[in-house]
Amino acid sequence: MSRPTISQDEIDAIYPQVADIIADALGCDEDEVKPDSSLINDLDAESIDFLDIVFRLEREFKVKIPRGRAVEEARGELSEEEFEQGGVVTDAGFEKIKGFMTEVPADRFSSPMKSAEIPKLFTTETFCKMVIREQQGA
Amino acid sequence: MSEQFKAFTFVDSIHSDEIGVKITGAYRIPENIGQFPLSLVAEAIGQLAAMSSMKAVDFQFRPVAGIAGAVDFTGSVKPGDTLELEATLSKADDESVNYDGIAKVNGEPVVVLHDSLGPMVPMVDFADPADVSARYDLLIGEGAEPDVFGGVPEFTYQKTGGEAGAKSEGQFEIPSEASFFGDHFPRKPVFPGTLLMNLNLKFALDLVSELEGDGIWEAVQMSNVKLRDFMPPGETLDLQASVAEVSDHTATVRVQTRKGKKRISSAQVLLRRV
Repeated sequence: MSRPTISQDEIDAIYPQVADIIADALGCDEDEVKPDSSLINDLDAESIDFLDIVFRLEREFKVKIPRGRAVEEARGELSEEEFEQGGVVTDAGFEKIKGFMTEVPADRFSSPMKSAEIPKLFTTETFCKMVIREQQGA
Repeated sequence: MSEQFKAFTFVDSIHSDEIGVKITGAYRIPENIGQFPLSLVAEAIGQLAAMSSMKAVDFQFRPVAGIAGAVDFTGSVKPGDTLELEATLSKADDESVNYDGIAKVNGEPVVVLHDSLGPMVPMVDFADPADVSARYDLLIGEGAEPDVFGGVPEFTYQKTGGEAGAKSEGQFEIPSEASFFGDHFPRKPVFPGTLLMNLNLKFALDLVSELEGDGIWEAVQMSNVKLRDFMPPGETLDLQASVAEVSDHTATVRVQTRKGKKRISSAQVLLRRV
């Protein structure tokens, strides 16, 4: 089944709320949060911050964002074995992620990529898209 | 002698448990201890919520301190009081427990927790799952023996810098040994986040007490509380506080705890002059 596409207008519509939540959760100024900011590399987010942000987004937008949903969606029809082996994303998996996370600047993708490093790609817009996908699926 | 369920445990009984949804219980503050800070009342609410969340995952995981959206301090407690505890859980799985909670004394709220989140960690790393499961059964059955808590030392910090009434810097040495480490946790002793919360409150109160004017400051609310890492015995932590907003009767102070460059905790404290 193909996934519904997400338009820039849809992202723009919720971006201010998402950026506000991320700034609050990370204790940084709102103008530090850019659409393509990597939460980990640019804003010093840690795993507890990801839990916090998802928790706040769920409350704000009345959606449920299951753990690992972004990676699961990126994987698409690939099986777990086809997507990653020994903690490293396969070539097929790598292409899937690049095609799925179009909001991430291309120069941030480097192969081979460890699965544990995928969250380093997450940007503010990645979280916008997570919310929109859950709203579409609701 | 094992300190487990004695030196840092604040639930005596579970009255009802709709597992992973809502839990009620009680804790009697022993009469023979000098003080029982409100941060330990917040700890009691968290421990009650933890019980229901651990039961929901068959004691394979346990929550640790993480986030509190807001902690309202609405009353006071004294030795001999019985805390009536309640927690409403919106999530309890192997990732996290999310809950709101309240502690009352004689029907009056003393501490209210909003939007709390505790990340789940593997139970075996912290305690024997069988011990914790047996404790749950005891609490929901006949109840535990009360008055076993012997109190915690009053921790203080060393002031290292700052600007009177505007910002403050300090240092805190976590003790290398303390009885509560045997309970928090038996297999991985760490300094409890709620004791750090208490120290941060004191740090904020000391800072605003440098402001001009009459009256005594008291903490009303702690918000955006986030604990980012474990604090093992013996570590030295740097404390930072700055006044973000101030009026005649209220002040907001941002507090942070660091270990070197690493942020360990952050929170905002709302204080009122009475």
